[in-house]
Amino acid sequence: MSFDVTVTIGGEAGQGIQTVGDLLGLVCHGAGLYVMAINDFESRIRGGHSFFQIRISDRPIKAPRRPVHLLVCMDAKTYDVHQHEVVADGLILMDEEISSSAESAVRLPITSLAKQAGGRIMANTVAAAACLALLGAPFNLLEAVLKKQFEKKDAAVSADNISAAKLGFQAAADISFKFKIPGTFPAKSEGKLLTGARAFALGAAAADCRFAAFYPMSPATGIIQHLSEFTKDLNLVVEQAEDEIAAINMIIGASFAGVRSLTATSGGGFSLMTEALGLAGITETPIVVVNAQRPGPATGMATRTGQGDLLFVIRAAPDEFPRFVFAPATVEDAFEITRKAFELADKYQVPVIILSDQYLNDSVFVTASTFSIPTTVNRFIVTDADMDDPGSYERYALASDGISPRALPCNGNALVMVSGNEHHPDGHSSEAISVRVSMVDKRNSKLAGMIKEMKPPRLYHENSDVLLVTLGSNAGAVIEAVDLLRSGGADVGCAVFTDIWPFPADTAKEILSRAKQFITVENNSLAQFGQLIREQTGLLYAGAVLKYDGRPMFPEDIVEGFKKNNEVAHG
Amino acid sequence: MVDIKDYHSDFENKWCPGCGNFNILEAMKDALVNLGLVPEKVLIVSGIGQAAKTPHFLKCNFFHGLHGRALPVATGAKIANHDLTILVNSGDGDAYGEGGNHFMNAVRRNIDITLLVHNNKVYGLTKGQASPTSDMGFTTRMQWQGVISEPFNPLAVALALGAGFVARGFSGDVESLSAIIQEGVSYRGFSLIDILQPCVSFNTVNTHAWYKKRVKHLARTGYAPDDLEKALKVARQWGDEIPTGVIYKREGVSFTDRIPRLDSGPLISGTFNPEAVVSLISQI
Repeated sequence: MSFDVTVTIGGEAGQGIQTVGDLLGLVCHGAGLYVMAINDFESRIRGGHSFFQIRISDRPIKAPRRPVHLLVCMDAKTYDVHQHEVVADGLILMDEEISSSAESAVRLPITSLAKQAGGRIMANTVAAAACLALLGAPFNLLEAVLKKQFEKKDAAVSADNISAAKLGFQAAADISFKFKIPGTFPAKSEGKLLTGARAFALGAAAADCRFAAFYPMSPATGIIQHLSEFTKDLNLVVEQAEDEIAAINMIIGASFAGVRSLTATSGGGFSLMTEALGLAGITETPIVVVNAQRPGPATGMATRTGQGDLLFVIRAAPDEFPRFVFAPATVEDAFEITRKAFELADKYQVPVIILSDQYLNDSVFVTASTFSIPTTVNRFIVTDADMDDPGSYERYALASDGISPRALPCNGNALVMVSGNEHHPDGHSSEAISVRVSMVDKRNSKLAGMIKEMKPPRLYHENSDVLLVTLGSNAGAVIEAVDLLRSGGADVGCAVFTDIWPFPADTAKEILSRAKQFITVENNSLAQFGQLIREQTGLLYAGAVLKYDGRPMFPEDIVEGFKKNNEVAHG
Repeated sequence: MVDIKDYHSDFENKWCPGCGNFNILEAMKDALVNLGLVPEKVLIVSGIGQAAKTPHFLKCNFFHGLHGRALPVATGAKIANHDLTILVNSGDGDAYGEGGNHFMNAVRRNIDITLLVHNNKVYGLTKGQASPTSDMGFTTRMQWQGVISEPFNPLAVALALGAGFVARGFSGDVESLSAIIQEGVSYRGFSLIDILQPCVSFNTVNTHAWYKKRVKHLARTGYAPDDLEKALKVARQWGDEIPTGVIYKREGVSFTDRIPRLDSGPLISGTFNPEAVVSLISQI
């Protein structure tokens, strides 16, 4: 019997729910287990209802699951919202201080123990310690994690938290809980524990990204927060712009002048950036833009997740120009696709859009592989030395593959003249018919090379009757759903797309044609990816599992949706 | 030695005959030559408007971008390579209308670029609508009952935001304008040069002759541009007598000089350091 337990800690914003989750994650990962956690919170700094849900297993896990084995209520509302999720032999813990008629909850003096240790602020440490005691984790691991967490703070803070942990650990010692971590300690932990946001930032660092400009917007801010911290160690500058329009224009300016540059935003901010996205397109300036999606339109739901921007980002900005769009499925993808995005942006002199979402950005995952860092970075830039006559350099010289040699301004005798107006090969604006047509053709001709860069979808049980098709961060839930459905006797596999645009239509058509039917799984209400597949391949999805409530896709959502689709098909 | 001919562009000029822009272009070339800058070492960034076409009409490196967005492009380029000499050619609509927020924040950053605003108090490219600097009552085909908003005062706004170099030029006085541009480009920080110019097609009020009667060059009056209170007064002066010249100048620390990461050289210099990234990953 494998170990697979979900712990949910709920409370108000400002109660340190996330701290409890972080401690559980670090200790369990340190104990050699796999963890994955989702962070569910409202757009407010204090109050409301937030929860941190962490799944802990002795085998690699890819998605959150519905059944909760241990529920920790730091407020009364948590009980009301989540008690029905708790399995029959699970446990509900509640702070003794909370007035609630929750009969099935086991009361624990969380706040009073925290006060005893030095202050109610440490209630989260008490709660985390109690959970770990129930799970059978060794105290010394928790102590080590706490010491590390507080090593930069006052020694007294660290000592107080350790005594709070001791009290919480002892208080839970006599409570019986069925689900115990198997094995002996210390065990070797696999992979790294990190959020998607951190993986994106590391991917940018590994690509030698030297400039990031941004305007704060959830859920993208985490990426820039990490990059901002990296400026201590890397040749990197991060600037908070006055708005998203300035942010993208700044990175266009910085890239034009020669450094790899990135901005990160969400749908609303991306909307403001679209004119400049076209500027990057027509000026052929390499940039990388991360759109960490949240539900819209307009403000929508700031702290929730979604995949409703897919068709928008593929078409965003007036008229036509080549661009790449990627939708990373995992933290490994977040790293590697971001690193590769800079290379492709430079190689093809196009904007690259990376579609993330709140779920991938804010959730905590364990990596399955190590991040590989290249030793050198190819910038695809020319200098005077590469030219016969730098004086006659033309930034937009016609080329069969559409890629004109790119020189940098003030970097020699070659003058670099760039215009967002339609332009002559030398960069001067032009409205001549022949110039316009040849420039559009030149830009579009890059697509032939770009399409070859696109990776086929990841396949799992691909020779099945039915294929679940998805993109980006739904991958984990879809793969786990395939396992659940197959264990129930269904002949189901999946295809997970990360490389979205230019759409790898031939590969997609070949793979999807093999199955009797395919079902699209998406976090939006109109099956945008299904529409794209139909447009690009002529193949129509037989069904769609669509979730647009702002919450991440769970394997259970897909299993239920799959069954409903079947009922419709056969009923 | 750099010569004014080095800045000659063969590209066909598209301004109306008699446009104030011709004199501004001449003053720019004169200033760059006097500063000893070769075209290969100059980057001009512009937005959209008649003024924003300027870089096409002189030989240099340029980035001709979007309406209102020249300043953020220039800011990004300066951060990437602070050794660049960057000038921005903009108009009253581009800099103060569409790009108003960027204008304010460029002043706040004190980014070391020179902003030349060709201020003709009317929209030229879109054929004669009111601009942010049009005077109250100014009539156009669009604002046929006259402008009913107060004009934007870029000099006073810049001063209020703490700008360290604020000047007003006049396209009818090329020699003085060249001197102001030279001083602005040499200034280490953000320099605003608002340049009064006639629009021969769409502004029949603020004509060359109208300005000629009113402009008074401060340098000829013994004015010292070192007093913010006086500068604010001068910046607000308009009507029968319009002061031109450097209105305020104060040494400060430019944006890129405030970024410790750039102390050791431009961001663009230096090689990729994979070990530093490995170390960041090992810290997880």
